Amino acid sequence: MTMANLLLSWRLLLRDWRAGELRILLSALIIAVTATTVIGFFSDRLQGAMVEQSAELLGGDLLLQSPREVAEPWLEQAQTLGLRHTRVLEFPSVVLHGEAMQLAGIKAVTADYPLRGQLRVALSPYGEELRETAIPAADEAWIEARLLALLEMELGDSLEFGSTRLQVTRVLTFEPSAGGGFFAMAPRVMVNQQALAAANVLQAGSRVSNHYLFAGGDQSLQAYQEWLRPQLEPSHRLLDIREGQPTVGAALERAEQYLGLASLVAVLLAGVAIAMGARRYAERHFDMAAIMRCLGAGQGRILGLFLPQLLCLGLIGSVIGVTLAWLAQFGLFYLLRDLLPATLPAAGWMPVWIGLASGLTVLAGFALPPVLRLRQVPALRVLRRELNPMPMSGWLVYGMAIIAMALLMWRYTGSAQLTLAVMGGAALALVSLGGLAALLLHLSRSLHRGVGVAWRYGINNLWRRPLLSISQILAFGLTLMAMALIALVRGDLINTWHTQLPPETHNHFVVNIQPDQREVFASFLAQREIVSSPLYPLVRGRLAEVAGEPLEARIQPGEEGAGAVYREMNLTWTDTLPENNRVTAGEWLGARADAMEVSMEEGLAQRLGVRLGDTLGFSFGGEMREVVVSSLRSVQWDSFQPNFFMIFPEAALHGKPATYMASFYLPPQGKTELGAMMRAFPALTIIDLDRMMEQVRGILEQVTLAVEFVLFFVLLAGFAVLYAALQASLEERLYEGALLRTLGGSRRQLRSGHLAEYGLLGALAGVLAALGAEIIAYILYTRVFDLNYQIQWEMWLWLPLLGAVLIGLAGYWGTRRVVAQSPLVVLRGL
Amino acid sequence: MKSDQKQQSPIVAAHGVGKQVRTAAGVLTILSEIELAIAAGESVAIVGASGSGKSTLLGLLAGLDLPSSGRIELAGEFLNELDEDGRARLRGEQVGFVFQSFQLLPSLSALENVMLPLELAGIRDARSPAAALLERVGLAARLDHYPKQLSGGEQQRVAIARAFAMSPAVLFADEPTGNLDAATGERIISLLFELNAEQGTTLILVTHDNALADRCTRAIRLEAGRICA
Repeated sequence: MTMANLLLSWRLLLRDWRAGELRILLSALIIAVTATTVIGFFSDRLQGAMVEQSAELLGGDLLLQSPREVAEPWLEQAQTLGLRHTRVLEFPSVVLHGEAMQLAGIKAVTADYPLRGQLRVALSPYGEELRETAIPAADEAWIEARLLALLEMELGDSLEFGSTRLQVTRVLTFEPSAGGGFFAMAPRVMVNQQALAAANVLQAGSRVSNHYLFAGGDQSLQAYQEWLRPQLEPSHRLLDIREGQPTVGAALERAEQYLGLASLVAVLLAGVAIAMGARRYAERHFDMAAIMRCLGAGQGRILGLFLPQLLCLGLIGSVIGVTLAWLAQFGLFYLLRDLLPATLPAAGWMPVWIGLASGLTVLAGFALPPVLRLRQVPALRVLRRELNPMPMSGWLVYGMAIIAMALLMWRYTGSAQLTLAVMGGAALALVSLGGLAALLLHLSRSLHRGVGVAWRYGINNLWRRPLLSISQILAFGLTLMAMALIALVRGDLINTWHTQLPPETHNHFVVNIQPDQREVFASFLAQREIVSSPLYPLVRGRLAEVAGEPLEARIQPGEEGAGAVYREMNLTWTDTLPENNRVTAGEWLGARADAMEVSMEEGLAQRLGVRLGDTLGFSFGGEMREVVVSSLRSVQWDSFQPNFFMIFPEAALHGKPATYMASFYLPPQGKTELGAMMRAFPALTIIDLDRMMEQVRGILEQVTLAVEFVLFFVLLAGFAVLYAALQASLEERLYEGALLRTLGGSRRQLRSGHLAEYGLLGALAGVLAALGAEIIAYILYTRVFDLNYQIQWEMWLWLPLLGAVLIGLAGYWGTRRVVAQSPLVVLRGL
Repeated sequence: MKSDQKQQSPIVAAHGVGKQVRTAAGVLTILSEIELAIAAGESVAIVGASGSGKSTLLGLLAGLDLPSSGRIELAGEFLNELDEDGRARLRGEQVGFVFQSFQLLPSLSALENVMLPLELAGIRDARSPAAALLERVGLAARLDHYPKQLSGGEQQRVAIARAFAMSPAVLFADEPTGNLDAATGERIISLLFELNAEQGTTLILVTHDNALADRCTRAIRLEAGRICA
């Protein structure tokens, strides 16, 4: 292609722009790119923020737990990869104040702790929370408020810690990397590692857990994990943000899926608008192509002139879209500044490249086929205007669009399953809804009897051009469907999250209840009207064999998910299926209390390849016991109640030493009950979950905002479709309107006709949308989000109504020129 | 004069040309056994009633379409031996068009419409010759106007300027005055013939207008798809 050709192409583009030929295509493209890119920016930064918050909970990006100090090369490798690291020691130890003594969880830290997030402290129990950048001095201890109550001491008092005394100078309210496992947590005492020598508490054989925290760039972390995992021993645990905090991980995963889904819908709609815009663009250039053919341009030349224009348009639209998206995300984060973390990670370049690539991909998928038709415009069209080029093959048109969509979807969701669900749903919807649209259109013909001339004109307009009408019904139906789907899924997902965290969500776990204290503890709770879960027995046991094979045959230590089974598991028995559990296969144990069975969590069963009827061998201090898997359960891990991988009937665990655990709810003003509880049951370990729940709520609120914001862009893309569709038939309507008025039609009749036509179109589209939304929602709920689905009856009423009103009014507004312009001007202009 | 022309080889010639189209009612013959030869510099009117096949013949002679039978020679090349791109090249090099419906591109200004064939031919400075041509047809003051802003006569003058931009060997005109009132039509015809004379172009036009046909060196009359003697 010569430079002269490119220049000519560019000049033609400029002329088209001045003449207003490109507005629809360019605006649809800009909306598409802006919508997708702003979602990219937003979710990029929001996810960054969420990951940072999660990192704050963990105290770093990666946590390695080890019962011993790890080999020096492990830390050297981290340093080589540019990761910062720090070592935290955790161990239980008794602390005293006067006569009072208490087993506490000691955490000894160095000055660089934590690598992510900040400590938070108060200067009085339950006083105002302050951010703290320092750590305790060598002669200080910072302790939790409930320990002050337990030891009946005040700030400033001294605490006996081994053979030294430390002054208690702060109330510890939040510490990153509290994740030493819920069951290991006694009231926290944080000290400086320099205090350990004087205290002389660590002897050979002391049970010390070494927590190595790492922080650094994503790639370094990834590389380090890949390097480290194969070397891990069963006693090591490596936790990244997701694994370290399963609750936050689950919320993050859903947020990502949701944002992915919403961005898909925006892309799909924008694609429809672009396809319509491109079709109109191509049709309006048939004459130009024919004249160029007359003036000596060959087929290649025609493409050589139009394709660079398309590419140029794509680049311009994408750059404008990305720029607008960049500005829009600033505006958005500014609006939401009170709700979001004070410092957000900056937007990366990734969304920019993705935005540019999306713009070009959407344009190639949806606009290229119509523009390719220009090559085939016959030169004879200059004499016989009715000669149109052959329509493009359906395979080419839909094939390219589908490839483009699949590429974008896969990029946005990163999930083949979600992509397939939406693509499958859309394809199913397109084919069956296309047929249905034709049927509805056919049925609507009977409407035109017994209505006035204006309505008859409007309805006739619909079935006079059946293909155009069907495609418009499909396009509007798709828009409405997307809007309905987003609204439905948004509402349901958020409701589900909120109902999962109702106001009285249990905020404390209590473990280590001795069997003989069971009754007393239950009545302690009952007397104080504290809402609690049942008391579950805990038996420690190790899974050793699966279906006669050793565990190693199913999963290797260090493999993802192996952490759950390569240590002693918490096993329980009960005959009542716990709340938030659902049996997905087999039959619940129920009254078969003497059976040698087990009910297994389905995710773990899947990872280990366990099926119903398989035998599992458990080792209890060397003694083996075999049980048969009689049911699989789905467990809602983020329910803040005791959850178990394995639930047995009582007989299966008979004779094994058990302690009991429960979860309960205490309102903020009832926290002093904890002191009373500790005094009544000194051996109990109580875990306060309020902090973690606050984090989860915060994340949910952010996700809700993101979702609403995304909905706005989906709407915008929907309007682009509407606008493009109206423009596509405007000329023809202008001409017809002028003719009708010449023949004596009044403006009122024309207006009513348009209202009838678009209202009916919208209503039919609404019916289709309701059907499509039901199908896709059903697939998404049952296959992807794992939620129950119920048919949305009311949607069948409000979608057709909304379609009729929205599209009726838009059509009325969009065709006002048809009524307003003088017939003479219109007829002369044609 | 006629004997002079016979000695030159014709710039446009049709040998046994026929055209049939398939319609719902069967095969329809539009043209049959057309024999003609037009020498360079001639001006020829193709006349006949509506539906006699005038415009179809023009389209075939100009290489916009191919005949069902017979051969057409344009500027020394046989059209049926060329593919579509070859015919497009030939049109670009040798042929100019003026249409009844003007066929200006609505998104281009008058000047840009005239520049288009020059630009397609890769001529670097298309602007000055295009502006000069528009000045020649009396539209110097309307270079930047869009077709919509011009009257019918003005639009046809732009179309004529565009047709002459590449100094074509043959100019085909399809009812050039069909959409114009008599007075405007008269002025357009005069302009067409003046430019034709200035550039030495061969002019082949289809018309209903007897006055226009009379100004040509000869007329070819079509009746039901055949040339009448």
